[in-house]
Amino acid sequence: MTDLLIIGAGLTGLFAACTAARAGLNVRVIAQGAGTTHWHAGTIDLLGYLPDGRQPVANWMQALGRLPPAHPYRLLGAASIANALDAFQQLAAAAGLPYERAAASIDSPGPSAPSQPIDREDDSRGHFTDIAPGRNGQLISPVGAGRPVFLAPQAQLAASLEDERPFLIIGFNGMTDFYPALIAENLRRQGRAARSASLPLSRLTSRRDHNTIQLARLLDQPAAQEKLIEMVSEAAASGERIGLPAVLGLKLHTRLLAKLNQASSARDRRKTPPGSPLQPSFSLFEIPTLPPSVPGMRLDASLRAQLTRLRVRVEIGMKVCGVRASGRRIEWIETETGSRPLRHTARNYLLATGGILGGGIRGDRCGRVKETVFDLPLTAPQTRSQWLRPLFLDKRGHPVFQGGVPVDTRFRPLGRDGAPVYDNLWAAGSVLAHTDPIRERSREGIAIATGFAAAHSVAKGQ
Amino acid sequence: MKRIQTEILVIGGGATGTGVAWDAALRGFQTVLVEKRDLTHGTTGRYHGLLHSGARYVLKDADSAVECIRENRILRRTHTHCIEDTGGFFIVTPEDEDDYPDRFAAACLRLDIPCDEIPASTALRREPLLNPRISRVFELPDAAADSFLAAHATAQAARQAGALLLPYHELTGLHLSGGDGNRAVSAAAVLNTVTGEELRIDADLVINAAGAWCGQVAALAAVEVNMMLGKGVMLATNARLTNTVINRCKMPGDGDILVPIHTVSVIGTTDQQVSDPENLSIEQWEIDLMLTEGDKLVPGLSRSRILRAWAGVRPLYHEPPPSHDSIHRPAPHPNRRASQLEASPASPASRDATRALALLDHRQRDGLSGFITITGGKWTTFRLMAESAVDAACAQLGVTRPCRTAETPVPGVEQGHYWLGHRLDEVESENQQSDLICECELVTRAMLEGAAQRNPTVTLDDLRRDVRLGMGPCQGGFCTYRAVGVLHQLRSDETAYDSGDWKVAHMQSPAHHHRDGPPADGGPAEHAPAAVPNPRRQSPAIDPSASVSQPNLLLRDFLQERWKGVVPILWGDQLRQERLDELIYLSILNADHLPADEGQSPLSEFYRSGFSYPGSRLT
Repeated sequence: MTDLLIIGAGLTGLFAACTAARAGLNVRVIAQGAGTTHWHAGTIDLLGYLPDGRQPVANWMQALGRLPPAHPYRLLGAASIANALDAFQQLAAAAGLPYERAAASIDSPGPSAPSQPIDREDDSRGHFTDIAPGRNGQLISPVGAGRPVFLAPQAQLAASLEDERPFLIIGFNGMTDFYPALIAENLRRQGRAARSASLPLSRLTSRRDHNTIQLARLLDQPAAQEKLIEMVSEAAASGERIGLPAVLGLKLHTRLLAKLNQASSARDRRKTPPGSPLQPSFSLFEIPTLPPSVPGMRLDASLRAQLTRLRVRVEIGMKVCGVRASGRRIEWIETETGSRPLRHTARNYLLATGGILGGGIRGDRCGRVKETVFDLPLTAPQTRSQWLRPLFLDKRGHPVFQGGVPVDTRFRPLGRDGAPVYDNLWAAGSVLAHTDPIRERSREGIAIATGFAAAHSVAKGQ
Repeated sequence: MKRIQTEILVIGGGATGTGVAWDAALRGFQTVLVEKRDLTHGTTGRYHGLLHSGARYVLKDADSAVECIRENRILRRTHTHCIEDTGGFFIVTPEDEDDYPDRFAAACLRLDIPCDEIPASTALRREPLLNPRISRVFELPDAAADSFLAAHATAQAARQAGALLLPYHELTGLHLSGGDGNRAVSAAAVLNTVTGEELRIDADLVINAAGAWCGQVAALAAVEVNMMLGKGVMLATNARLTNTVINRCKMPGDGDILVPIHTVSVIGTTDQQVSDPENLSIEQWEIDLMLTEGDKLVPGLSRSRILRAWAGVRPLYHEPPPSHDSIHRPAPHPNRRASQLEASPASPASRDATRALALLDHRQRDGLSGFITITGGKWTTFRLMAESAVDAACAQLGVTRPCRTAETPVPGVEQGHYWLGHRLDEVESENQQSDLICECELVTRAMLEGAAQRNPTVTLDDLRRDVRLGMGPCQGGFCTYRAVGVLHQLRSDETAYDSGDWKVAHMQSPAHHHRDGPPADGGPAEHAPAAVPNPRRQSPAIDPSASVSQPNLLLRDFLQERWKGVVPILWGDQLRQERLDELIYLSILNADHLPADEGQSPLSEFYRSGFSYPGSRLT
């Protein structure tokens, strides 16, 4: 018998599945499609902006008190969130995709420093003990703005805007999803030294479809890697940090990054006059791109690999078409197949279908906003004239995207009477009410922290 | 103040204005055109794209019907590449009046509009999504027209004939000279809204072709022109539902036209009288009405994905009998049936107002020479409107020069009619698959760069009108960022682009080889013109070089332009699409926290003032 059936294979569902499996539960994941992880930047954003704030949140732990009382983070508290993040970091490191504090890179030469192998064991956390807990870093967006990020994969760490070293942003001629000159100009507007360069893709490949996935696959090949290293070394000057689009391999990117760093530092040493002290090395980093996002795909693949090790099956292509409840328990759910509905029975169900973007919530022409699997009560406004604000970029966000499933402190969905609707149904991630993860830049934090908490709630009840 | 001298000054850069400039230049007049925003920014760029056969008006407005069929035939020769030869069906649904179809067919015959009745089963084979309950179908030479491309082609023809076209030049005043008996308009004060520079244009004659803004322009000459403005709302679906223009075979009403335009179908329209040409608000009932009526043409249309809603304002004009000048006309009820044909001519509803063109020779009408207003009409009749206006100008100027536009093709006609696959064909034959900036509308980097170099680009929305950037299902989700990047690259590295290899191609904005240089100053300045001041606030100055080198403003403004048109129709998948756009522009790009630009853009004022859309109770 399945202890926990998770509906949804985004970051929330997959991380909750790992958590529950490690707690000893028998877990399955079903989902209509792959999650939205493939679209995101691959960083772990905890809380970047508050609804009233123009300035980014410097320290999310200190900002929790300014969130609405029913916000998922307020239900959890800082300590629970931190525990979930620790668990995520361990999991990611074990999967070979270590995530580190984005704010850390100014306090040390950084994990990408060439003298250290990039895929070393996780002994680096000692460097960061002096970083205030909860402090966000600022990494670079593909238009050159700062992105308030808490944890980042190693490949993005050297992008920190808190670091004063000059930038060289390198793109590829003909790539439609990356504009190095634009990034460099916006960096300069923020007082950073930055210049840009474009490399001819024709030296890497004769193909002309330069999308991010295609380039990442290409750069998994050693021959292409060698040529890239050569071109980047030619373009860079000493002391510069080099930003490249996040296409440095779908699988082997940490090794390519290390090789690029080594090549750069070797060249630095050659250029340095004998006898003079070694110049500060330059390091490389990836800048996320428009969807599809290579860093997001790497994260998804790492979690899926961990789940395979934990013997958790993830089944995609399962659209829920029926639900049977008796009293306060979900008995079973059914998914569509070509012939007849397929029935799934479990002791507990975790709803991790996401918000409007993920497909967990849908709004119709009549103004009804519905939760798509269990038709749970939502907080969203049920009148279309109350859905959207006149300014797209309004800092307060659009109310229709802020509605969701209200839950209790154990993450059980609540009915209109304020009591849990079912005793064996749980919810986590972007489907939750009282948060706007995209506007807040809290999507991964919400996913990891609530997925972790919900999985533990289920485990405790077993 | 800079001064230029011309024979004919045209106000308005829509279909009519560019048509007038083309006609006047072809007749050898020195011609200048001013438009306050981008070309086609007004009603021309907001219409449904129907090249009328005239059949729609045969029983209601025979004059307009005759004008339409005549111009339909001419435009197929002069603007071939701006037209998709879809043909048109007039369909009789169970709701339509029984005797109308026979009267309709008889009237088409009488007015020499080719009209063939075909079996409903044949029509359904050609258009399988049509309402299967249709009883009769008439086939007529309606077609789909790209009004953006047509205006650009006309403008290009005007330039080649020597006209000077000045977009982003707003008329701020008209200079009147002479006393009682020989009053005349002799000059115009114009503000370059991009640079803030003022300009005086001395002209022998001013032609007011400002469309829905004709009344405001006439007021600057102290002449009263009471426009009857009919706002029409249109919706675009995410795919072509039919390949033929569909009309209901009944008296024209709301939501009874379905036009395939490029990759989408447009359902239209409403007709509601408004007082302000800039009143482009869209109410929920208008959306609902379009969808309900659309279901009668193509059942299920209301459940298809709607990409966008927009409104245009028809510049209708009904010259009142002198004694009725001051009668206040109440706005008609928006949902009235179209059977009010017999309404009193003194107080028609805008749906019933004539679509025939209106030429106001103010010398005869108001004793003011040097000033002509051309308004009313349809997009289909823009060339005829231009011809009438320039004929009147010749009469006022005392010259006889025959119109040549009906026999003169504009640049690009050699390409033949456009067709749905033209862009894909071009992309594939030139192996440009990897250079797509906008996948929805197949806009390549070269098209974007070419358009940006040849047209004044103050906003990305100007490029949208040129190349259909951001008009597809994602509504700018991916291409906004890319277009900003491409333009920024272009401006920071001008030499990287070889302007020689960009050619006029199907559906690309026609090559504007060079904006004609500014003419020499008009000699020594006389006394400054006593311009009638424009009561409306002037736009802040926008630095033209900065406008494109300020990528952050381009990005912000285009996102907002796109948002404006999707807010009324966001539900279901399109709502989800907008959430993806939020993910891209907020979470990934952090576009709402870019370093501030000090410069101004046409939307800067908008951001400073509180603003709300009708239909949304939020601010």
